[in-house]
Amino acid sequence: MNVTFVWIGVAIYVIASLMLAYYSRTGKAKDMTDYFLGNRMMGGVVSALSYSATTFSAFMLVGLAGLTYAGGVGALGFELIYFAGVSLIAFFGPRYWVAGKKYGYVTPTEMLGDRYNSKSVAVVTAIASCLFLIPYSAVQLTGVGYLLSSMSNHEISFTTGVTIATVLAIVFTIIAGIRSVMWTDAFQALLMIITATLVVLIVISRLGGFGNFFGTLEAEHPGSLTVPGNGYFSFPMFLSLTLPWIFFSISNPQVSQRLFMPASFKSMRTMLLGFLVFGFIYTLVAILWGYAALIKFPDLDNPDLATPTLLASDIVPPILAVIVMIGIMAAAVSTIDSIILTLSSMVARDVYGNAKRNPSERRQLLVGKIVIPIIAVLAYLFAQLQLDLIAVLSVSASAGLLVIVPAYIGVFFWKRGTAAGVISSVVISGALVAYLELAKLKPLGYGSGVWGFLLSIALFVGVSLATKAPEEKAEAFIKFVKSELKQQFNQPSNKKVAQR
Amino acid sequence: MERREIGWAIFLIIAVLSAYIVPYTVLREVDAWYGSFLFWSLFGLLIIAVNVFITRKWSE
Repeated sequence: MNVTFVWIGVAIYVIASLMLAYYSRTGKAKDMTDYFLGNRMMGGVVSALSYSATTFSAFMLVGLAGLTYAGGVGALGFELIYFAGVSLIAFFGPRYWVAGKKYGYVTPTEMLGDRYNSKSVAVVTAIASCLFLIPYSAVQLTGVGYLLSSMSNHEISFTTGVTIATVLAIVFTIIAGIRSVMWTDAFQALLMIITATLVVLIVISRLGGFGNFFGTLEAEHPGSLTVPGNGYFSFPMFLSLTLPWIFFSISNPQVSQRLFMPASFKSMRTMLLGFLVFGFIYTLVAILWGYAALIKFPDLDNPDLATPTLLASDIVPPILAVIVMIGIMAAAVSTIDSIILTLSSMVARDVYGNAKRNPSERRQLLVGKIVIPIIAVLAYLFAQLQLDLIAVLSVSASAGLLVIVPAYIGVFFWKRGTAAGVISSVVISGALVAYLELAKLKPLGYGSGVWGFLLSIALFVGVSLATKAPEEKAEAFIKFVKSELKQQFNQPSNKKVAQR
Repeated sequence: MERREIGWAIFLIIAVLSAYIVPYTVLREVDAWYGSFLFWSLFGLLIIAVNVFITRKWSE
Protein backbone atom coordinates (compact mmCIF):
# COMPACT_ATOMS: atom_id res chain seq x y z
CA MET A 1 0.00 0.00 0.00
CA ASN A 2 1.13 3.54 -0.79
CA VAL A 3 2.97 4.91 2.22
CA THR A 4 1.75 8.45 1.53
CA PHE A 5 -1.86 7.26 1.98
CA VAL A 6 -0.90 5.72 5.30
CA TRP A 7 0.77 8.91 6.53
CA ILE A 8 -2.12 11.12 5.42
CA GLY A 9 -4.56 8.80 7.22
CA VAL A 10 -2.49 8.83 10.41
CA ALA A 11 -2.11 12.63 10.25
CA ILE A 12 -5.87 13.25 9.92
CA TYR A 13 -6.59 10.86 12.78
CA VAL A 14 -3.98 12.46 15.05
CA ILE A 15 -5.08 16.03 14.36
CA ALA A 16 -8.79 15.27 14.89
CA SER A 17 -8.10 13.38 18.14
CA LEU A 18 -5.78 16.08 19.48
CA MET A 19 -8.35 18.77 18.84
CA LEU A 20 -10.96 16.75 20.72
CA ALA A 21 -8.59 16.11 23.60
CA TYR A 22 -7.80 19.82 23.80
CA TYR A 23 -11.43 20.93 23.77
CA SER A 24 -12.41 18.35 26.39
CA ARG A 25 -10.58 20.36 29.07
CA THR A 26 -12.73 22.09 31.66
CA GLY A 27 -10.20 24.11 33.61
CA LYS A 28 -7.47 22.69 35.81
CA ALA A 29 -8.41 19.55 37.72
CA LYS A 30 -7.87 20.10 41.42
CA ASP A 31 -8.27 16.63 42.83
CA MET A 32 -8.15 12.93 42.04
CA THR A 33 -11.91 12.60 41.57
CA ASP A 34 -11.97 15.37 39.01
CA TYR A 35 -8.94 14.20 37.01
CA PHE A 36 -9.52 10.45 37.11
CA LEU A 37 -13.32 10.22 37.39
CA GLY A 38 -14.53 13.42 35.68
CA ASN A 39 -16.06 14.42 39.04
CA ARG A 40 -18.47 11.45 38.74
CA MET A 41 -20.43 13.51 36.23
CA MET A 42 -19.86 11.73 32.92
CA GLY A 43 -22.76 11.60 30.44
CA GLY A 44 -24.27 8.37 29.11
CA VAL A 45 -23.50 8.49 25.39
CA VAL A 46 -19.84 9.46 25.70
CA SER A 47 -19.47 6.85 28.46
CA ALA A 48 -20.97 4.17 26.23
CA LEU A 49 -18.66 4.97 23.32
CA SER A 50 -15.63 5.27 25.56
CA TYR A 51 -16.44 2.03 27.38
CA SER A 52 -16.67 0.31 23.99
CA ALA A 53 -13.39 1.76 22.72
CA THR A 54 -11.62 0.82 25.96
CA THR A 55 -12.92 -2.75 25.97
CA PHE A 56 -12.41 -3.48 22.29
CA SER A 57 -8.78 -3.32 21.30
CA ALA A 58 -6.84 -4.25 18.19
CA PHE A 59 -7.64 -7.82 19.28
CA MET A 60 -11.07 -7.68 17.63
CA LEU A 61 -10.22 -7.09 13.99
CA VAL A 62 -6.88 -8.90 14.19
CA GLY A 63 -7.09 -11.55 16.93
CA LEU A 64 -10.81 -12.42 16.83
CA ALA A 65 -10.85 -12.37 13.03
CA GLY A 66 -7.79 -14.65 13.24
CA LEU A 67 -9.59 -16.99 15.65
CA THR A 68 -12.51 -17.20 13.22
CA TYR A 69 -10.09 -17.92 10.42
CA ALA A 70 -8.43 -20.68 12.45
CA GLY A 71 -11.40 -22.27 14.20
CA GLY A 72 -14.67 -21.01 12.73
CA VAL A 73 -17.87 -20.08 14.53
CA GLY A 74 -16.52 -20.92 18.02
CA ALA A 75 -14.93 -17.46 17.89
CA LEU A 76 -18.42 -15.94 17.78
CA GLY A 77 -19.51 -17.98 20.80
CA PHE A 78 -16.35 -16.98 22.67
CA GLU A 79 -16.91 -13.27 22.13
CA LEU A 80 -20.65 -13.34 22.79
CA ILE A 81 -20.21 -15.24 26.05
CA TYR A 82 -17.81 -12.50 27.13
CA PHE A 83 -20.50 -10.06 25.97
CA ALA A 84 -23.10 -11.78 28.17
CA GLY A 85 -20.70 -11.33 31.09
CA VAL A 86 -21.04 -7.57 30.72
CA SER A 87 -24.54 -8.07 32.18
CA LEU A 88 -22.67 -8.18 35.51
CA ILE A 89 -22.78 -4.38 35.29
CA ALA A 90 -26.56 -4.57 35.72
CA PHE A 91 -25.86 -6.10 39.16
CA PHE A 92 -22.55 -4.55 40.22
CA GLY A 93 -22.82 -1.15 38.50
CA PRO A 94 -25.30 0.46 40.92
CA ARG A 95 -23.42 -1.06 43.88
CA TYR A 96 -20.04 0.36 42.80
CA TRP A 97 -21.70 3.69 42.09
CA VAL A 98 -23.41 4.21 45.46
CA ALA A 99 -20.38 2.89 47.39
CA GLY A 100 -18.02 5.10 45.36
CA LYS A 101 -20.08 8.18 46.01
CA LYS A 102 -20.49 7.53 49.72
CA TYR A 103 -16.89 6.57 50.51
CA GLY A 104 -15.14 8.66 47.82
CA TYR A 105 -13.43 5.77 46.05
CA VAL A 106 -11.31 6.67 43.05
CA THR A 107 -10.10 3.16 42.17
CA PRO A 108 -11.72 -0.29 42.46
CA THR A 109 -8.71 -1.50 44.46
CA GLU A 110 -9.17 1.37 46.91
CA MET A 111 -12.67 0.01 47.48
CA LEU A 112 -11.22 -3.45 48.18
CA GLY A 113 -8.73 -2.00 50.69
CA ASP A 114 -11.38 0.00 52.51
CA ARG A 115 -14.04 -2.70 52.60
CA TYR A 116 -11.65 -5.38 53.86
CA ASN A 117 -10.14 -2.84 56.23
CA SER A 118 -6.58 -3.35 55.04
CA LYS A 119 -4.15 -1.07 53.22
CA SER A 120 -2.19 -4.15 52.13
CA VAL A 121 -5.22 -5.39 50.17
CA ALA A 122 -5.28 -2.15 48.15
CA VAL A 123 -1.51 -2.26 47.57
CA VAL A 124 -1.38 -5.95 46.57
CA THR A 125 -4.37 -5.84 44.22
CA ALA A 126 -3.14 -2.59 42.62
CA ILE A 127 0.32 -4.09 42.01
CA ALA A 128 -1.21 -7.32 40.65
CA SER A 129 -3.27 -5.26 38.20
CA CYS A 130 -0.15 -3.41 37.00
CA LEU A 131 1.77 -6.66 36.65
CA PHE A 132 -0.71 -8.07 34.16
CA LEU A 133 -1.95 -4.91 32.45
CA ILE A 134 1.35 -3.21 31.58
CA PRO A 135 2.44 -6.20 29.43
CA TYR A 136 -1.08 -6.25 27.94
CA SER A 137 -0.63 -2.60 26.91
CA ALA A 138 2.81 -3.46 25.52
CA VAL A 139 1.30 -6.08 23.24
CA GLN A 140 -1.29 -3.55 22.02
CA LEU A 141 1.61 -1.24 21.15
CA THR A 142 3.41 -3.98 19.24
CA GLY A 143 0.13 -4.55 17.37
CA VAL A 144 0.20 -0.95 16.11
CA GLY A 145 3.89 -1.34 15.21
CA TYR A 146 3.25 -4.45 13.11
CA LEU A 147 0.12 -3.01 11.52
CA LEU A 148 1.75 0.23 10.35
CA SER A 149 4.89 -1.49 9.12
CA SER A 150 3.06 -4.26 7.25
CA MET A 151 0.52 -1.88 5.71
CA SER A 152 3.27 0.44 4.46
CA ASN A 153 5.34 -2.42 3.04
CA HIS A 154 7.83 -1.82 5.88
CA GLU A 155 8.50 1.75 4.79
CA ILE A 156 7.24 2.80 8.23
CA SER A 157 9.33 0.91 10.77
CA PHE A 158 7.97 -1.14 13.67
CA THR A 159 9.61 1.27 16.13
CA THR A 160 8.00 4.28 14.47
CA GLY A 161 4.57 2.65 14.80
CA VAL A 162 5.11 1.79 18.47
CA THR A 163 6.43 5.29 19.19
CA ILE A 164 3.45 6.99 17.54
CA ALA A 165 1.00 4.87 19.56
CA THR A 166 2.85 5.50 22.83
CA VAL A 167 3.04 9.27 22.32
CA LEU A 168 -0.66 9.41 21.40
CA ALA A 169 -1.64 7.39 24.47
CA ILE A 170 0.38 9.68 26.75
CA VAL A 171 -0.99 12.87 25.17
CA PHE A 172 -4.63 11.70 25.19
CA THR A 173 -4.24 10.78 28.85
CA ILE A 174 -2.33 13.72 30.19
CA ILE A 175 -4.19 16.62 28.52
CA ALA A 176 -7.29 16.35 30.71
CA GLY A 177 -7.19 12.95 32.42
CA ILE A 178 -10.37 10.95 32.03
CA ARG A 179 -12.11 13.73 30.08
CA SER A 180 -9.61 13.71 27.22
CA VAL A 181 -9.48 9.91 27.35
CA MET A 182 -13.26 9.64 27.12
CA TRP A 183 -13.77 12.19 24.34
CA THR A 184 -10.95 10.81 22.20
CA ASP A 185 -12.24 7.30 22.94
CA ALA A 186 -15.73 8.27 21.80
CA PHE A 187 -14.36 9.59 18.50
CA GLN A 188 -12.21 6.52 18.07
CA ALA A 189 -15.15 4.20 18.82
CA LEU A 190 -17.17 5.79 16.02
CA LEU A 191 -14.17 5.52 13.72
CA MET A 192 -13.72 1.84 14.60
CA ILE A 193 -17.27 0.72 14.07
CA ILE A 194 -18.22 2.81 11.04
CA THR A 195 -15.11 1.93 9.04
CA ALA A 196 -15.13 -1.76 9.88
CA THR A 197 -18.84 -2.24 9.22
CA LEU A 198 -18.71 -0.35 5.95
CA VAL A 199 -15.74 -2.28 4.65
CA VAL A 200 -16.98 -5.71 5.71
CA LEU A 201 -20.25 -5.04 3.83
CA ILE A 202 -18.27 -4.06 0.73
CA VAL A 203 -16.10 -7.18 1.02
CA ILE A 204 -19.14 -9.47 1.40
CA SER A 205 -20.88 -7.89 -1.59
CA ARG A 206 -17.70 -8.39 -3.63
CA LEU A 207 -17.68 -12.03 -2.55
CA GLY A 208 -21.20 -12.45 -3.95
CA GLY A 209 -23.45 -11.29 -1.10
CA PHE A 210 -24.51 -13.05 2.13
CA GLY A 211 -26.10 -16.05 0.35
CA ASN A 212 -22.95 -16.88 -1.56
CA PHE A 213 -20.79 -16.01 1.43
CA PHE A 214 -22.32 -18.64 3.70
CA GLY A 215 -22.79 -21.05 0.78
CA THR A 216 -19.04 -20.95 0.10
CA LEU A 217 -18.26 -21.51 3.79
CA GLU A 218 -20.55 -24.56 3.94
CA ALA A 219 -19.24 -26.04 0.68
CA GLU A 220 -15.52 -25.28 0.86
CA HIS A 221 -14.83 -25.03 4.58
CA PRO A 222 -16.78 -27.79 6.31
CA GLY A 223 -16.84 -27.36 10.07
CA SER A 224 -16.39 -23.59 9.92
CA LEU A 225 -20.00 -23.10 11.09
CA THR A 226 -19.97 -25.69 13.89
CA VAL A 227 -18.08 -26.39 17.10
CA PRO A 228 -15.72 -28.10 17.67
CA GLY A 229 -15.59 -27.74 13.88
CA ASN A 230 -12.09 -28.52 12.66
CA GLY A 231 -11.15 -29.39 16.24
CA TYR A 232 -9.70 -25.99 17.15
CA PHE A 233 -12.53 -25.16 19.56
CA SER A 234 -12.55 -28.32 21.65
CA PHE A 235 -14.78 -27.89 24.71
CA PRO A 236 -11.92 -27.51 27.24
CA MET A 237 -10.30 -24.94 24.95
CA PHE A 238 -13.61 -23.07 24.62
CA LEU A 239 -14.20 -23.04 28.38
CA SER A 240 -10.62 -21.95 29.12
CA LEU A 241 -10.89 -19.11 26.64
CA THR A 242 -14.30 -17.86 27.73
CA LEU A 243 -14.16 -18.14 31.52
CA PRO A 244 -11.64 -15.33 32.17
CA TRP A 245 -13.55 -13.04 29.85
CA ILE A 246 -17.00 -13.54 31.41
CA PHE A 247 -15.83 -11.56 34.42
CA PHE A 248 -13.90 -8.94 32.41
CA SER A 249 -16.25 -6.08 33.39
CA ILE A 250 -15.47 -6.70 37.07
CA SER A 251 -11.91 -8.00 36.95
CA ASN A 252 -10.36 -5.33 34.69
CA PRO A 253 -9.94 -2.04 36.57
CA GLN A 254 -9.84 0.12 33.43
CA VAL A 255 -13.49 -0.76 32.84
CA SER A 256 -14.72 -1.36 36.40
CA GLN A 257 -13.43 2.10 37.39
CA ARG A 258 -15.94 3.45 34.86
CA LEU A 259 -18.73 2.32 37.21
CA PHE A 260 -17.79 5.18 39.56
CA MET A 261 -18.10 7.83 36.84
CA PRO A 262 -21.64 8.18 35.41
CA ALA A 263 -23.59 11.26 36.43
CA SER A 264 -26.68 9.18 37.28
CA PHE A 265 -28.19 5.70 37.02
CA LYS A 266 -29.75 6.84 33.78
CA SER A 267 -26.29 7.63 32.38
CA MET A 268 -25.04 4.26 33.56
CA ARG A 269 -27.95 2.57 31.79
CA THR A 270 -27.12 4.40 28.55
CA MET A 271 -23.49 3.35 29.00
CA LEU A 272 -24.40 -0.32 29.46
CA LEU A 273 -27.01 -0.59 26.71
CA GLY A 274 -24.99 1.54 24.29
CA PHE A 275 -21.99 -0.68 24.84
CA LEU A 276 -24.03 -3.85 24.27
CA VAL A 277 -25.36 -2.64 20.93
CA PHE A 278 -21.89 -1.50 19.87
CA GLY A 279 -20.31 -4.76 21.01
CA PHE A 280 -22.85 -6.93 19.24
CA ILE A 281 -22.31 -5.17 15.89
CA TYR A 282 -18.52 -5.01 16.24
CA THR A 283 -18.35 -8.70 17.14
CA LEU A 284 -20.36 -9.76 14.09
CA VAL A 285 -18.19 -7.52 11.90
CA ALA A 286 -14.97 -9.07 13.24
CA ILE A 287 -16.29 -12.60 12.71
CA LEU A 288 -17.44 -11.88 9.15
CA TRP A 289 -14.05 -10.28 8.52
CA GLY A 290 -12.31 -13.51 9.55
CA TYR A 291 -14.65 -15.59 7.39
CA ALA A 292 -14.02 -13.29 4.41
CA ALA A 293 -10.27 -13.87 4.76
CA LEU A 294 -10.88 -17.63 4.99
CA ILE A 295 -12.88 -17.60 1.74
CA LYS A 296 -10.45 -15.38 -0.14
CA PHE A 297 -7.12 -16.64 1.28
CA PRO A 298 -7.63 -20.16 2.67
CA ASP A 299 -3.94 -21.09 2.93
CA LEU A 300 -2.37 -18.57 5.29
CA ASP A 301 0.25 -19.99 7.69
CA ASN A 302 -0.53 -17.55 10.49
CA PRO A 303 -4.21 -16.75 11.24
CA ASP A 304 -3.18 -13.36 12.67
CA LEU A 305 -2.29 -12.37 9.13
CA ALA A 306 -5.92 -12.79 8.01
CA THR A 307 -6.82 -9.12 8.45
CA PRO A 308 -3.59 -7.54 7.12
CA THR A 309 -3.72 -9.87 4.09
CA LEU A 310 -7.35 -9.00 3.38
CA LEU A 311 -6.62 -5.28 3.76
CA ALA A 312 -3.67 -5.46 1.39
CA SER A 313 -5.65 -7.41 -1.24
CA ASP A 314 -7.45 -5.99 -4.26
CA ILE A 315 -10.83 -6.82 -2.70
CA VAL A 316 -10.60 -3.74 -0.44
CA PRO A 317 -10.15 -0.34 -2.16
CA PRO A 318 -6.83 1.20 -0.94
CA ILE A 319 -8.41 4.30 0.63
CA LEU A 320 -10.84 2.14 2.63
CA ALA A 321 -8.01 -0.14 3.68
CA VAL A 322 -6.16 2.85 5.14
CA ILE A 323 -9.33 3.94 6.95
CA VAL A 324 -9.80 0.47 8.48
CA MET A 325 -6.14 0.42 9.45
CA ILE A 326 -6.61 3.74 11.27
CA GLY A 327 -9.70 2.23 12.92
CA ILE A 328 -7.62 -0.69 14.23
CA MET A 329 -4.92 1.70 15.43
CA ALA A 330 -7.60 3.76 17.18
CA ALA A 331 -8.90 0.58 18.84
CA ALA A 332 -5.43 -0.11 20.25
CA VAL A 333 -4.65 3.45 21.37
CA SER A 334 -8.07 3.91 23.02
CA THR A 335 -7.49 0.75 25.07
CA ILE A 336 -3.93 1.67 26.05
CA ASP A 337 -4.69 5.22 27.20
CA SER A 338 -7.51 4.04 29.47
CA ILE A 339 -5.31 1.35 30.99
CA ILE A 340 -2.48 3.82 31.58
CA LEU A 341 -4.83 6.32 33.23
CA THR A 342 -6.38 3.68 35.50
CA LEU A 343 -3.05 2.16 36.49
CA SER A 344 -1.59 5.59 37.30
CA SER A 345 -4.60 6.35 39.50
CA MET A 346 -4.01 3.04 41.30
CA VAL A 347 -0.30 3.69 41.81
CA ALA A 348 -1.03 7.22 43.11
CA ARG A 349 -4.01 6.31 45.27
CA ASP A 350 -3.32 2.79 46.47
CA VAL A 351 0.44 2.37 46.41
CA TYR A 352 1.74 5.90 47.06
CA GLY A 353 -1.34 6.96 49.06
CA ASN A 354 -0.92 4.04 51.46
CA ALA A 355 2.87 4.08 51.64
CA LYS A 356 2.97 7.67 52.83
CA ARG A 357 1.14 9.07 55.78
CA ASN A 358 -1.99 10.89 54.63
CA PRO A 359 -0.64 12.53 51.48
CA SER A 360 -2.89 15.35 50.24
CA GLU A 361 -5.14 14.97 47.19
CA ARG A 362 -2.99 17.43 45.28
CA ARG A 363 0.13 15.45 46.04
CA GLN A 364 -1.55 12.19 44.95
CA LEU A 365 -2.71 13.87 41.76
CA LEU A 366 0.82 15.09 41.05
CA VAL A 367 2.18 11.57 41.57
CA GLY A 368 -0.55 10.19 39.28
CA LYS A 369 0.40 12.63 36.53
CA ILE A 370 4.09 11.77 36.88
CA VAL A 371 3.31 8.05 36.76
CA ILE A 372 1.33 8.32 33.48
CA PRO A 373 4.39 8.72 31.21
CA ILE A 374 6.38 6.26 33.33
CA ILE A 375 3.83 3.48 32.79
CA ALA A 376 3.58 4.37 29.10
CA VAL A 377 7.37 4.25 28.70
CA LEU A 378 7.51 0.91 30.54
CA ALA A 379 4.95 -0.48 28.10
CA TYR A 380 6.97 1.04 25.23
CA LEU A 381 10.18 -0.62 26.42
CA PHE A 382 8.43 -3.96 26.88
CA ALA A 383 7.02 -3.61 23.36
CA GLN A 384 10.50 -2.94 21.99
CA LEU A 385 12.07 -5.87 23.82
CA GLN A 386 9.38 -8.25 22.58
CA LEU A 387 10.27 -10.67 25.37
CA ASP A 388 8.51 -14.00 25.61
CA LEU A 389 7.66 -13.26 29.22
CA ILE A 390 5.79 -10.12 28.20
CA ALA A 391 3.74 -12.05 25.66
CA VAL A 392 2.98 -14.67 28.30
CA LEU A 393 1.88 -12.10 30.89
CA SER A 394 -0.22 -10.36 28.28
CA VAL A 395 -2.01 -13.52 27.21
CA SER A 396 -2.59 -14.39 30.84
CA ALA A 397 -3.82 -10.86 31.69
CA SER A 398 -7.49 -11.80 31.70
CA ALA A 399 -6.80 -15.05 33.57
CA GLY A 400 -4.47 -13.24 35.99
CA LEU A 401 -7.03 -10.56 36.82
CA LEU A 402 -9.75 -13.19 37.19
CA VAL A 403 -8.22 -14.25 40.51
CA ILE A 404 -9.33 -10.90 42.04
CA VAL A 405 -13.00 -11.54 41.14
CA PRO A 406 -13.96 -13.50 44.31
CA ALA A 407 -12.71 -10.55 46.38
CA TYR A 408 -14.83 -8.09 44.36
CA ILE A 409 -17.92 -10.28 44.75
CA GLY A 410 -17.22 -10.61 48.47
CA VAL A 411 -17.22 -6.81 48.87
CA PHE A 412 -20.97 -6.68 48.31
CA PHE A 413 -22.22 -10.16 49.05
CA TRP A 414 -20.10 -11.84 51.74
CA LYS A 415 -19.59 -10.30 55.16
CA ARG A 416 -17.16 -13.05 56.21
CA GLY A 417 -14.53 -12.17 53.58
CA THR A 418 -11.20 -11.07 55.08
CA ALA A 419 -8.04 -9.27 54.02
CA ALA A 420 -5.98 -12.45 54.48
CA GLY A 421 -8.45 -14.26 52.22
CA VAL A 422 -8.06 -11.61 49.51
CA ILE A 423 -4.27 -11.39 49.67
CA SER A 424 -3.70 -15.15 49.68
CA SER A 425 -6.17 -15.76 46.86
CA VAL A 426 -4.71 -13.00 44.68
CA VAL A 427 -1.03 -13.73 45.29
CA ILE A 428 -1.06 -17.54 45.21
CA SER A 429 -3.60 -17.95 42.40
CA GLY A 430 -1.94 -15.15 40.41
CA ALA A 431 1.39 -16.96 40.74
CA LEU A 432 -0.26 -20.23 39.64
CA VAL A 433 -1.67 -18.53 36.51
CA ALA A 434 1.74 -17.05 35.64
CA TYR A 435 3.44 -20.41 36.24
CA LEU A 436 0.99 -22.41 34.10
CA GLU A 437 1.33 -19.87 31.29
CA LEU A 438 5.14 -19.78 31.49
CA ALA A 439 5.46 -23.57 31.62
CA LYS A 440 2.76 -23.85 28.92
CA LEU A 441 0.88 -26.36 31.07
CA LYS A 442 -2.80 -27.20 30.66
CA PRO A 443 -3.72 -29.79 33.30
CA LEU A 444 -6.57 -32.03 32.01
CA GLY A 445 -6.75 -29.79 28.93
CA TYR A 446 -7.99 -26.74 30.88
CA GLY A 447 -6.10 -23.44 30.76
CA SER A 448 -4.64 -21.26 33.52
CA GLY A 449 -7.81 -19.19 33.97
CA VAL A 450 -9.91 -22.20 35.01
CA TRP A 451 -7.36 -23.44 37.57
CA GLY A 452 -6.46 -19.97 38.83
CA PHE A 453 -10.13 -19.12 39.35
CA LEU A 454 -10.94 -22.36 41.18
CA LEU A 455 -7.92 -21.96 43.48
CA SER A 456 -8.75 -18.32 44.07
CA ILE A 457 -12.32 -19.15 45.16
CA ALA A 458 -11.06 -21.94 47.45
CA LEU A 459 -8.40 -19.74 49.05
CA PHE A 460 -10.63 -16.70 49.44
CA VAL A 461 -13.36 -18.73 51.13
CA GLY A 462 -11.06 -21.06 53.11
CA VAL A 463 -8.65 -18.44 54.44
CA SER A 464 -11.48 -15.99 55.15
CA LEU A 465 -13.31 -18.56 57.26
CA ALA A 466 -10.12 -19.23 59.22
CA THR A 467 -9.45 -15.54 59.94
CA LYS A 468 -11.36 -12.71 61.58
CA ALA A 469 -13.57 -10.59 59.34
CA PRO A 470 -13.84 -6.77 59.69
CA GLU A 471 -17.39 -7.23 60.97
CA GLU A 472 -18.24 -3.65 61.77
CA LYS A 473 -17.04 -2.31 58.42
CA ALA A 474 -18.66 -5.14 56.46
CA GLU A 475 -21.96 -4.67 58.24
CA ALA A 476 -22.04 -0.90 57.75
CA PHE A 477 -20.92 -1.10 54.11
CA ILE A 478 -23.34 -3.79 52.99
CA LYS A 479 -26.24 -2.26 54.93
CA PHE A 480 -25.63 1.14 53.38
CA VAL A 481 -25.45 -0.18 49.81
CA LYS A 482 -28.57 -2.26 50.31
CA SER A 483 -30.64 0.56 51.73
CA GLU A 484 -29.48 3.00 49.03
CA LEU A 485 -30.46 0.61 46.27
CA LYS A 486 -33.78 -0.12 47.88
CA GLN A 487 -34.51 3.56 48.07
CA GLN A 488 -33.47 4.09 44.47
CA PHE A 489 -35.29 1.23 42.82
CA ASN A 490 -38.31 0.58 45.01
CA GLN A 491 -39.53 4.13 45.20
CA PRO A 492 -42.32 5.16 42.83
CA SER A 493 -40.85 7.55 40.28
CA ASN A 494 -41.49 11.30 40.60
CA LYS A 495 -43.86 11.17 37.68
CA LYS A 496 -46.08 8.61 39.36
CA VAL A 497 -46.05 10.59 42.57
CA ALA A 498 -47.12 13.73 40.69
CA GLN A 499 -49.95 11.87 39.00
CA ARG A 500 -51.34 10.83 42.32
CA MET B 1 -29.69 -9.32 46.42
CA GLU B 2 -33.28 -8.39 45.78
CA ARG B 3 -35.69 -11.12 44.72
CA ARG B 4 -36.12 -9.45 41.32
CA GLU B 5 -32.35 -9.51 40.81
CA ILE B 6 -32.09 -13.15 41.80
CA GLY B 7 -34.70 -14.04 39.17
CA TRP B 8 -32.76 -12.25 36.43
CA ALA B 9 -29.47 -13.73 37.62
CA ILE B 10 -30.88 -17.27 37.37
CA PHE B 11 -32.28 -16.51 33.92
CA LEU B 12 -28.91 -15.20 32.75
CA ILE B 13 -27.03 -18.19 34.16
CA ILE B 14 -29.36 -20.55 32.28
CA ALA B 15 -28.92 -18.50 29.09
CA VAL B 16 -25.12 -18.58 29.40
CA LEU B 17 -25.11 -22.32 30.16
CA SER B 18 -27.22 -22.89 27.04
CA ALA B 19 -24.65 -20.88 25.05
CA TYR B 20 -22.08 -23.48 26.13
CA ILE B 21 -24.24 -26.60 25.81
CA VAL B 22 -26.50 -26.17 22.74
CA PRO B 23 -23.79 -25.54 20.09
CA TYR B 24 -21.73 -28.48 21.40
CA THR B 25 -24.69 -30.90 21.42
CA VAL B 26 -27.85 -30.15 19.41
CA LEU B 27 -26.12 -28.01 16.78
CA ARG B 28 -22.90 -30.00 16.56
CA GLU B 29 -23.71 -31.36 13.09
CA VAL B 30 -25.62 -28.35 11.71
CA ASP B 31 -22.91 -26.96 9.45
CA ALA B 32 -24.86 -23.96 8.09
CA TRP B 33 -25.65 -20.33 8.94
CA TYR B 34 -28.86 -21.40 10.73
CA GLY B 35 -26.86 -23.53 13.19
CA SER B 36 -24.53 -22.19 15.89
CA PHE B 37 -24.01 -18.90 14.02
CA LEU B 38 -27.71 -18.06 14.27
CA PHE B 39 -28.05 -19.50 17.78
CA TRP B 40 -25.23 -17.41 19.23
CA SER B 41 -26.43 -14.30 17.36
CA LEU B 42 -29.92 -14.70 18.88
CA PHE B 43 -28.27 -15.32 22.25
CA GLY B 44 -26.50 -11.94 21.87
CA LEU B 45 -29.79 -10.19 21.11
CA LEU B 46 -31.44 -11.91 24.07
CA ILE B 47 -28.70 -10.57 26.35
CA ILE B 48 -29.35 -7.03 25.12
CA ALA B 49 -33.10 -7.45 25.74
CA VAL B 50 -32.54 -8.83 29.25
CA ASN B 51 -30.33 -5.87 30.13
CA VAL B 52 -32.99 -3.46 28.86
CA PHE B 53 -35.45 -5.09 31.29
CA ILE B 54 -33.13 -5.32 34.29
CA THR B 55 -32.19 -1.65 34.07
CA ARG B 56 -35.62 -0.24 33.23
CA LYS B 57 -35.97 1.46 36.62
CA TRP B 58 -32.61 3.24 36.41
CA SER B 59 -33.51 6.91 36.35
CA GLU B 60 -31.94 10.27 37.22
